[in-house]
Amino acid sequence: MSGMRRALIMAEMHGRDLMRRHVALFLLVALPLSFYLASRGAGDSAIVAGGVGMAFSVSGATLFSVLSSTEVDQRLVLGGYRPLDLLLGRLLFLGPAGLVVSAAFSTLMVTASSPGRPWLTFVGVAAVALQSIPFGLAVGAAVPRELEGTLVLIGVIGMQLAVEPGSPVAKALPFYGAAELISASLDAQGRIAGPLVLTVLYGLVLMLVARLFMTGRVDVVRHGEIR
Amino acid sequence: MGAMPQLVVSQVAKRYGRTTILDGVDLTVHGGEVVALTGENGAGKSTLMRICAGLVKADAGEVTVGGAIGYCPQVPGLFELLTADDHLVMFGRGVGMGRSASLHRGHALLEEFGYPLRERSVTRDLSGGTRQKLNLALALLTDPAVLLLDEPYQGFDRGTYVDFWDHCTTWRHSGKAVVVVTHMLAELDRVDRVVELPVHRSRYTGAG
Repeated sequence: MSGMRRALIMAEMHGRDLMRRHVALFLLVALPLSFYLASRGAGDSAIVAGGVGMAFSVSGATLFSVLSSTEVDQRLVLGGYRPLDLLLGRLLFLGPAGLVVSAAFSTLMVTASSPGRPWLTFVGVAAVALQSIPFGLAVGAAVPRELEGTLVLIGVIGMQLAVEPGSPVAKALPFYGAAELISASLDAQGRIAGPLVLTVLYGLVLMLVARLFMTGRVDVVRHGEIR
Repeated sequence: MGAMPQLVVSQVAKRYGRTTILDGVDLTVHGGEVVALTGENGAGKSTLMRICAGLVKADAGEVTVGGAIGYCPQVPGLFELLTADDHLVMFGRGVGMGRSASLHRGHALLEEFGYPLRERSVTRDLSGGTRQKLNLALALLTDPAVLLLDEPYQGFDRGTYVDFWDHCTTWRHSGKAVVVVTHMLAELDRVDRVVELPVHRSRYTGAG
């Protein structure tokens, strides 16, 4: 229970921190929107581009929340937090925040582009938003600095957008399942359960990776007591 | 010294690559003792403090402690867009303190250091000295038995700086073991003992 309280207080503080970053909040919405608007001429694929483009903003925000606070994180662990509390705290705030942004963004895309299964557009874009958090956490915990982390994000999400959806490379990337869901929302065809399960499994693996690296990064040595 | 040791460092060594930073360092600090840790730049003072705090793993040797550690880093590790109150609540929660208890204790500490309590700015907008006061208060929030202070007075104005050394006397009387990294030779008469760390020759030659 106390672990959950610690995670909740971290969620609250990350929320306060992000809510004071007004430009970042604007970009959180503007970035995927610009992907969508820029791709509108390409027809239905604009929804896929916009939906997957959301990964840039949500995973970027997540990445920054990890890499900008390594020193504080380690001090918090020294002060009684577990590395897992710090991860869960970010997840607890960024998850609902990502869902809110994805719902607003999906509403806009569904209204403007009228996909065949609008509800599935909501699910697919929400899956991108949720998957972006463990992805951002894992990259943030694994790389040493913002520059390297940003380049990894650009590389992975850029590849997800650029490669042929059915190619082996696309299937190996973290947003494949979510992109498949968004594609399936465009008409009445396409699988739903498989991509959904794949997204969940990939997200769990990313969380494990994040936990592993986060522990290595911020855990402290507990000294023995003087007898 | 009648009091029990609260911090014992035995044969601690640390290398970064081929450079030896610390080589067989021993240090014992008793409760009610204030020790100044001095040495040239690169002598490993901050590294030793980080090892004692548990933030860095020593390559060899052992550190044992008599109670909780309060660590005040040289550069305040703070969230830029959180206020002092946010930090107090967050750090207090780590040890199970409630929100109001964290704020009550934290405000008392901040007041002691002359922190402007009416100040509601986020830490990014605070002066260096004011941030450092918060940094110091966070180290003391949980009433630790061992205080590790790495040049904690940076940015302090003259009055606060003098007050800081008065606080060292108070902490000594309350039985804390205090280690202060300092270059301020004029204040060394305010401490019980001065420990100087030598610069290892490999720092310059790259030899092990």
